[in-house]
Amino acid sequence: MMRFPALFAWILLAVALFVNFLLQPNLFASDTLNSNMRVFLPLILLTAGEAVVILAGGIDISVGAIVSIVNAILATRVGLSGSPEAMWQYVIVALLVGVLAGAFNGFFVAYLRLQPIITTYATSFLYAGLALFILPNPGGGIPSPIAELYRSTMPLKLPLAFFIIAILLGVWAYIRSTRYGNYLYAVGGKPQAAYETAVPVTLVQFSTYVISGLMAAFAGIAITMLSGSGNAEIGAAMTLTSITAVVIGGTALSGGVGGVAGPVVGAITLGFIQNIISFARIDTWWETLVKALIIVAALATPGIINLFRRRE
Amino acid sequence: MALSLSAQNIVKRYGGVLALSDGNLEVTAGEVVALIGANGSGKSTMSKVINGVVVLDGGQLLLDGKPIAFSSPQAAKKLGISTVFQELSLIPYMTVADNIWLTREPLSSGWRVNRKDVNAKTQELLSLFAGTYKTDLRPDVWVSELPADEKQIVEILKAVSVDPRILILDEATASLDSRQVQRLFDLIKTWKADGKAIIFVSHRMEEIFRIADRYSVLRNGKTVGAGDIKDVSDNDLVKLMVDKDSVFSYSRTGGKKEEKPVCLEVKDLKTKTLRGISFDVREGELVGVGGLQGQGQRDLLLSLYGDIVFSGKVNYNNKPIHFKHPRQAMKNGFALVPGDRAREGLLYIRSILENMQLPSWANYSFPLKMGKAGKDAAEMGAALNLKMASLSEPVSSLSGGNAQKVVIGKWLMRKPGLLLLDDPTKGVDVGTKAEFYSLLTKLCDEGKTILFYSSDDEELIGLCDRVLVLHDGGIKTELAGATLTRENLIAASLGVSEGGAN
Repeated sequence: MMRFPALFAWILLAVALFVNFLLQPNLFASDTLNSNMRVFLPLILLTAGEAVVILAGGIDISVGAIVSIVNAILATRVGLSGSPEAMWQYVIVALLVGVLAGAFNGFFVAYLRLQPIITTYATSFLYAGLALFILPNPGGGIPSPIAELYRSTMPLKLPLAFFIIAILLGVWAYIRSTRYGNYLYAVGGKPQAAYETAVPVTLVQFSTYVISGLMAAFAGIAITMLSGSGNAEIGAAMTLTSITAVVIGGTALSGGVGGVAGPVVGAITLGFIQNIISFARIDTWWETLVKALIIVAALATPGIINLFRRRE
Repeated sequence: MALSLSAQNIVKRYGGVLALSDGNLEVTAGEVVALIGANGSGKSTMSKVINGVVVLDGGQLLLDGKPIAFSSPQAAKKLGISTVFQELSLIPYMTVADNIWLTREPLSSGWRVNRKDVNAKTQELLSLFAGTYKTDLRPDVWVSELPADEKQIVEILKAVSVDPRILILDEATASLDSRQVQRLFDLIKTWKADGKAIIFVSHRMEEIFRIADRYSVLRNGKTVGAGDIKDVSDNDLVKLMVDKDSVFSYSRTGGKKEEKPVCLEVKDLKTKTLRGISFDVREGELVGVGGLQGQGQRDLLLSLYGDIVFSGKVNYNNKPIHFKHPRQAMKNGFALVPGDRAREGLLYIRSILENMQLPSWANYSFPLKMGKAGKDAAEMGAALNLKMASLSEPVSSLSGGNAQKVVIGKWLMRKPGLLLLDDPTKGVDVGTKAEFYSLLTKLCDEGKTILFYSSDDEELIGLCDRVLVLHDGGIKTELAGATLTRENLIAASLGVSEGGAN
């Protein structure tokens, strides 16, 4: 389990895909796949950033609020009738805002040595408040050609999300092969030992929050292009889902074990679980309960397996 | 001019505690200086000042006569100062190779770490200790999967891989077996010849006399003596350290004891590492468990304590027992002093009182009678000669030896009948060791039974009635009386059967 932390996520994904396929036989048709993947993509991007923070021993619960800010900025500044040029300009602005919000978190956690969970909980209200300030009521949006671009771009008849995931995993594989990649594991695994080995612990911790802020901005851009409209609370529910995806993906909350690939698989799996529930025609008021039960069971399974192993 | 490092009048405070008030140390290229002192005397602080982990509050460091100052381990590393940390600076879920080369990984194009190179260079380093490993130690195994002695070796190799000019070895031999220590000493000799300066911190007097050229003794944060090792005897050094005479007179008194009834019978006990061992222990006996590290000693104690799964028969006071949980063991009067006091023995940030009473709160009714709990803990503290500011201080404020007294004290509060001790004097200063020895002897005289694992051969020989020598998961031999000699013990530890004739 420790050696292949993402193994469980892959098994779970296979099971979810299978069940989903039974309920929805055209699951693997390219249009269906695309409509699913484009919905999953924002969470996947968010989860990748969260995974980096958790890997290095921290946690960031302000990511959902950063998604909201980005959505609010794009929806109000670009507008439904805006030009594509304006859209791309504000995409840059959105990314900068994400980096800035992440750097703010990182400064408090790494340099002022505050508790990550408390710090990012506090800043999450700050960012959520800013999002509401920018966009008090749901509305606004981005020009429909741009939303259309996100929805139906299918290079080689494959969903756009596949290519973005491939780039994401490629970048992660590269980061992992660098010295910085080693530092992430060292800082998350045993910060005191990393410090004594002359690893720049503070800088590494700081950098993970910047990465997480940047990825939250990407997620915000993706979800805005998906919905085409603005809602300052759009990201609120995503934070805990992304942390769940990280854990399902085998990256330990204690840090130092796992990676980004597992959590990405975990995020895709959570997407398919949501899909299954929609197709299983479960009454709306049971939905949350059933979804929660599946997730709790998924999280508990490795622990239960271990319990039986101990008992022998 | 040969390289030299000189620390002069070093002062270091942690909060209100003065850890070093006047620390001095000189070391030059090609020599080994032993830094000696009781636990809490400031040895660790001294080495942390030299390697930049803590910033000094007063005094100065001179490298080749020039003052140096650094505020981080990075800076010290750049000047060629490298450390083998007592608590090991290894990341558990990283490979041996990644740990050794962390921050100095050889890179290939695009700043990628050249794993092939890293593994090859690691293999080269690992060969320094070739032949002393018990596992198939490869560069790509996780450090968390290694036994304690091999972790220690990786830590040593990591420090050496920098090719340092000054090497600090802080208790580097504590988890090593005698073969590994010998290899380390051989290596130290070659490093000396290469012109490295070595600072050797150890509690083991015998090792200090084997390897050191000079010594420097710390007592209560002050350097109280320094000189050539050939001019002193071990008793001289001990006197300097503890201000007390004859701490080595711990041999058991009273001669032959009457034969008490057998109280613990173990038959064919098997675990993952133990291959079926059997022995008896009589009431009031102090039975040692010896052998190289990791031969199943820990498993033996833990399985008796109900902490790990085992098969086989165990009788205690003629009643069959098979504990599945430490709680059952505790109820039956068992107590375990674990081998890793930081992780298993103590709640470091909680108070001495809480730690002392942790297994005994049930005896103080509800609501808790805090006054009585405090009084009992204070009595135990006094009985153990525990040096503390007050019971409400956190255990983290204590030195290693005093912290260990808290671990022992918390079990003695429960008045156990059988004590299982897992290397209780590891990293404990000689003064406290002597106190432990007389305490153990006294406990046995009171009728308590003790099973005592130690990695220190001297204390097994000096203290125990009998010693069971474990080798590769079995009892190699049992030494007692005239056969209980250092030669026999080492021979049996290494699995040489002729040495340990019964």
